[in-house]
Amino acid sequence: MTKVVITDERDNCLSVVKGPTGAEHRRLANEVMQRALARADLHIDDISYIVATGYGRLNVPFADRQITELSCHARGVASLFPGARTAIDIGGQDAKCLKIDRGRLTGFVMNDKCAAGTGRFLEVTAAALGIRLDDMGNVALKATRKVPVSSLCTIFAQQEVVALLSRGEKLENIVAGLHDALAGRIGALARRVGLDPDLVLTGGVAMNRGMARAMEQALGCAVLIPAEPLLTGALGAAILARETCTRALAEGQTLHPRPRRMEEATFFGTEEQ
Amino acid sequence: MSSKASGLARAREVYSHRAQRARELKAEGSKILGYPCAYVPLEMLTALDVVPYRTCGDIREPVTEADRALPGSFCPVMRTCLDCALKNRDDFLDGVVAIHSCDPQEKTARVWEPYTDYPYFHFIDMPGTVRPEALAYFRGQLDDFRKTLEAFTGRELSRQRLAAAIECHNRQRRLVRELYELTRPSPPLVTGSEILQVVKALMSLPVAEGNDLLAGVIADVGNRSDRPARKSARLLTWGSTLDDADVMQVLEFNANVVMDESCGGIRAYRGEVKLTADPLEGLADYYLKEITCARTFRQGSLSGGAKDYAADLQSRFGYLKSIVRDWQIDGAIMLLVRYCDPFAFEMPSVKDYFDTLGLPSTYIEYDYTAGALAPLRTRVEAFLETIS
Repeated sequence: MTKVVITDERDNCLSVVKGPTGAEHRRLANEVMQRALARADLHIDDISYIVATGYGRLNVPFADRQITELSCHARGVASLFPGARTAIDIGGQDAKCLKIDRGRLTGFVMNDKCAAGTGRFLEVTAAALGIRLDDMGNVALKATRKVPVSSLCTIFAQQEVVALLSRGEKLENIVAGLHDALAGRIGALARRVGLDPDLVLTGGVAMNRGMARAMEQALGCAVLIPAEPLLTGALGAAILARETCTRALAEGQTLHPRPRRMEEATFFGTEEQ
Repeated sequence: MSSKASGLARAREVYSHRAQRARELKAEGSKILGYPCAYVPLEMLTALDVVPYRTCGDIREPVTEADRALPGSFCPVMRTCLDCALKNRDDFLDGVVAIHSCDPQEKTARVWEPYTDYPYFHFIDMPGTVRPEALAYFRGQLDDFRKTLEAFTGRELSRQRLAAAIECHNRQRRLVRELYELTRPSPPLVTGSEILQVVKALMSLPVAEGNDLLAGVIADVGNRSDRPARKSARLLTWGSTLDDADVMQVLEFNANVVMDESCGGIRAYRGEVKLTADPLEGLADYYLKEITCARTFRQGSLSGGAKDYAADLQSRFGYLKSIVRDWQIDGAIMLLVRYCDPFAFEMPSVKDYFDTLGLPSTYIEYDYTAGALAPLRTRVEAFLETIS
């Protein structure tokens, strides 16, 4: 997903855009940006500072600075929940547990190079069960018991699910078991950085109510979820941009050392040559 | 030597075409033995005019042949080494010397030997501890190694030859440490990626040629006008194998890696072999005790009962303390090769030790492939954001 958040000097959101990235759109950050500008009736020259984040942060030629999504999520979460000390972000590609102190990222741990600890685990197993990913959470909430499923490997879990169906296990109980497996694995990951309340869950998986409940059980504490769990990274990037701006102005520095290039992206690989 | 280049340019050339010099030497009649690990006492090869060549596999070559023999879920370094061997990529090798530094290497050797047909193959058993009885056993293993080497070359491994080889390899160790001295200023005079290329070149050349290369590199770096830029932090890397410049460049994108505690960095070059009356004793002592790989069990003291974790950490990892101080390290990256059990199990203790030094650290798993480096980059940059 590609997201744009434009804020004013008080961190109020002026424009929000989110949409699928896809292979082609990775090149077209400029178009998404134009759409966000149009929505707030702004021109690119009205924007004081732009921070790009996420895996595509190097594909945004008009950004002033790149900051990893870990720092941006931490900042975004802290702005929505000032008491947040831990954030867990579970997306389709990775899972990250962030330690936050006064709005700043102070430590983190990410999943190892494996899909079993990410949202992909639910995506793949949903397909094996023939249900929609969006329905997974609600199905899990109907469970009367949880069938244990191994969280070691997504592919093994998929096969396990098929075997459980053949054994006659109820769909909702299997789905609850899957949520439990993922929550357990992410809980173990999170304990490596430490779990201090308040704890906030973000990313696509945070929209799944079954997962929120499974996480609360696995972690043994309340889990807070923002209204827009997909947007905390972009929001954090906007706030970090505003902060950079405020600081630069206070120190009497120039804000735009180089002109904006509202053009298509050059790529990670070629940029490094 | 076919190439006219010297210094850093020559190092880059050898790094990029590792096998080229080995092929030339082979054509001139030299014998070349491969070894997959820093624990093989190369002095014994050099003393008999055998060229040691470290088999690193190929991080860019998809593993196919090795997967026909073994499951995919084990050490990716040994997997690619075995894969390249089964594909006969290093067809200039007269043989291989493997060693029981870790279980994957021992088990890989058990497949490597029967599935290839080198004229020579030797496996050295190596104890897992540094206790005195282990030293005596290891010395005996080196004596067995001597016998098979003598039979293979038809020459006697005299004390005199071995003493000369030990001096030559000690000189290489001194020169590598001298090179690392040049990363102490800020910004460093030489990048981590450049040193990595030099070290990998050393593993591809006869030791005397490697020493000439090092002398050239050190002279080059001392006179350079293109000094590396000062980046946001000075990093120490710790792990088993980090021997690919592309991976190192990802780590160095926003930081200076000024010390690399891995097999592609300083690990094999710390300390020196002492020339003892029985040279095998000095070699056994050095290889067992001085190489700081997680495969070896080290213990603070034998005192049963009283637990003193701080003293234990100090005795196991104390050598890192002066590095952190003298190289003004801002942060440590523990880069774990996937499925590398010895380093994965060592990691919590090393992290605790870094904590006692007040040094921020992070661990990153990588699977010893050069593709998909973006996740590695995100982890490194996020770590830099937490410490800057």
